[in-house]
Amino acid sequence: MRTRFRVNGKDVEVDVEPRRLLVSVLRDELGLTGTHVGCDTTNCGACTILVNGDAVKSCTMLAVQADGAEITTVEGLAGDDALHPVQQAFVEKHGLQCGFCTPGMVVTACWLLSKRTDWTDPELRRHLTGNLCRCTGYKNIIESVMRAQELLNGGHREGQ
Amino acid sequence: MSGPELLVKGGGHYVDDITLPHMCHMAVVRSPHARAKVLSVTGGMHAHDLRVLVGGFGEGARSDVNRATLHPVFAADTVNYVGQPVAAVFAADGYAAEDKLDEVDVAYEKLRPIMTIDEALSGPPLHAGTSSNVIKQAWIGDDFVDPASPVVLEDEFIVNRIANNPLEPRGIVADYNGNRLTAYISTQAVFSMKRGLCNTLKLPPADVRVVQADTGGAFGVKSALYPEYVMAAHAAMTYRRPVKWIESRSEHLAASQPGRGVRAKMQLFAGTDGRIDALRADVVTDAGAFGGTTGSSSPFFIAMQLTGPYGITRARVRATSVMTNKPPQGPYRGAGRPEAAFFMERMMDALADAVGKGADEVRLTNTTTTRFTSPLGLEIDASRPFFTKAVTALRYKEKAGRDSAGLCFFVLVPGVTPGESARIRVRDGAIAVWLGGNQHGQAHGAFVKRLLSEELGVAADRVTLNAGDSDALTSGVGTWGSRSAIVGGAAVVAAARKVKAQVAREHGTYTPDALLGGSYDAEVFDARSGQLNSFGANLAAVHIDRFGQVAVRECAAYYDVGRALTPGVVRGQIVGGSVQGIGQVLYEAVVHDADGNLLTKDLFDAGLPIAENAPEFSITIVEHPSPFPHKAKGLGEAPTIGVPPAVVRAIENVSGVKIRHTPVTPEELIEHAEPSV
Repeated sequence: MRTRFRVNGKDVEVDVEPRRLLVSVLRDELGLTGTHVGCDTTNCGACTILVNGDAVKSCTMLAVQADGAEITTVEGLAGDDALHPVQQAFVEKHGLQCGFCTPGMVVTACWLLSKRTDWTDPELRRHLTGNLCRCTGYKNIIESVMRAQELLNGGHREGQ
Repeated sequence: MSGPELLVKGGGHYVDDITLPHMCHMAVVRSPHARAKVLSVTGGMHAHDLRVLVGGFGEGARSDVNRATLHPVFAADTVNYVGQPVAAVFAADGYAAEDKLDEVDVAYEKLRPIMTIDEALSGPPLHAGTSSNVIKQAWIGDDFVDPASPVVLEDEFIVNRIANNPLEPRGIVADYNGNRLTAYISTQAVFSMKRGLCNTLKLPPADVRVVQADTGGAFGVKSALYPEYVMAAHAAMTYRRPVKWIESRSEHLAASQPGRGVRAKMQLFAGTDGRIDALRADVVTDAGAFGGTTGSSSPFFIAMQLTGPYGITRARVRATSVMTNKPPQGPYRGAGRPEAAFFMERMMDALADAVGKGADEVRLTNTTTTRFTSPLGLEIDASRPFFTKAVTALRYKEKAGRDSAGLCFFVLVPGVTPGESARIRVRDGAIAVWLGGNQHGQAHGAFVKRLLSEELGVAADRVTLNAGDSDALTSGVGTWGSRSAIVGGAAVVAAARKVKAQVAREHGTYTPDALLGGSYDAEVFDARSGQLNSFGANLAAVHIDRFGQVAVRECAAYYDVGRALTPGVVRGQIVGGSVQGIGQVLYEAVVHDADGNLLTKDLFDAGLPIAENAPEFSITIVEHPSPFPHKAKGLGEAPTIGVPPAVVRAIENVSGVKIRHTPVTPEELIEHAEPSV
């Protein structure tokens, strides 16, 4: 089926089988391999993207359902050489080890921070329940998102 | 190896991100039965096309087992666990490959599976060519007459199986150009993979190259050579097309090699003062359906460590690895170390209760004031000075009284032997480094930069640690067993000194400018053996609600790391490992029913901890330098060893329920839980 959507600011038209998952089209057809597949049951959240501004697990959506949608993947959060404040905070606060869950975590965090920038630590833990990390024990991830929130609220880079 | 700046932008190069021209995708037909005769297989690639065995490659793997117990790449006459590979199919994309699974017909005749250790020990052998289901059995430690101790404690404990569940599943892309096989693998050890592929496919070493893709976690499960890798490589050579296989999470849960799965019967003889006179134990590992994996070595490694940081002068252990109709057992973060500590620390708590002393007091009573070699072969430094300070630093007395906290003392036995390789190549002012063991989230690049800026006097940003590549080094071992900062670090230092000598020979004296202005290349295999054990202690406090749900409130660590080369990374390892330890106690298990069907089929059932499950941490890093040139000791597995016994004791303290296994379920605690929410 001919399907049109916008990904990271670019219009895309693809001819896809109706059964094909959105994550598969993003990765295999469009080469956007930053969106990862860590499970086959929508538990892990490594495939999280923004669809019309909302965080969506792209393994749980058919590509054809995205017809007409505005999609942002982890690659589209900032310019080629730039880091989004959330990405910058993950680097600063060691919010990643192996990096596999990171794109999904970063996108979910961007979505949360697009709604509010006064999250508390327990609220963030509750709202990141849909994203699993096996390496970090979550502590540095939460600290990264808190740091990103500070940056978005006009906070300064560490050390300045 | 992609750095954090790239990974946060989705710029990593994991194995599933690799696409080669004309690449096809492999899908695997797996046994739906725990035990059955295979009457016929039609369609796909199967045992008629490739009849080879795997085993003996990777962390803790043993090759000195009866060949009749080894894992066939494709099941031939029988299948022995749900998920065992029977055939493989290939297609242009992953969806089409999945479709083709339906084109393979397999006729089975079901047999009654053996699902427990006791059934395996008493039942008929699973494999033709064997006389029993015991892979290995031995006594360790000299026999002794039972001492006339006033306190004799006996108990039985089980640490159930856990799936490793790195967020990235296993995977390979195999490419053959007519002369040479190149395999891109998500792995901890490119040289284990290379040796394994050469051995199974009868290829000379020069004809195989293994390249590490960015590796999205492993925790032990990506050290072994798996049947699927051999299939993909064989198919790439047969079809002359690159072949990709990416494991699904369902396959990971059913058919990778889960860790733990060990039972111990313990008998402790002690005085009324809590002083231990002797220890006897019977340790059995459920090795799963085949020999040659960590399951074949696990009970012996556990037995060796069983006396922990205590000066127990009489000890004897029977160690047995036994086969059941489950997937083969493999290493999971700690790989025998957490089991040994769990068994001993459970007995220590029981001893404290029996003699009416504090959990800290009985432990300290049994520590040593001199260097000590246990009757089981474990070498430790004097442990009393360290643990005396640990009890104070952890504020155990206060927290035991106020929060019913649990305590654990442990010794970490890192996998030092046989050392590790490193190579340093200097060109155009840039320093490239390769290590024989391959990182998968531990940020080895950070310690490599620090050590080389110290040794060579260069800026850290000149140094890059490359991904594992069997062409870049002559040999190598692997990243596991809390070894990399120790032996990888020592190898980097040795290679740096070799490069410095090259510069000095050329210029009369070494200067960083001379190094960066020239071209140099040095590789070393820094051979090491023996034990470089270190101590650690954990404290944990829990809250249990009226539904029996446990929340870990506090997790405190007091660890000797020798020298914290990269403190931020050290803390990250401790927190991450601690949450895995909490997962073992509260949430995680691999469970099969009596027919051998997998019950824990997704990440929710497998019980991975979520952000809300992580407690508050207080971490004290102690630095007693090791005798190695860069002073490092082991770390990575420390929290998975020390956290579970402390959490379990805290649960026992709060609930009053005696805990003899992990995981602990709310159902066990609900009747004894606090009345308040």
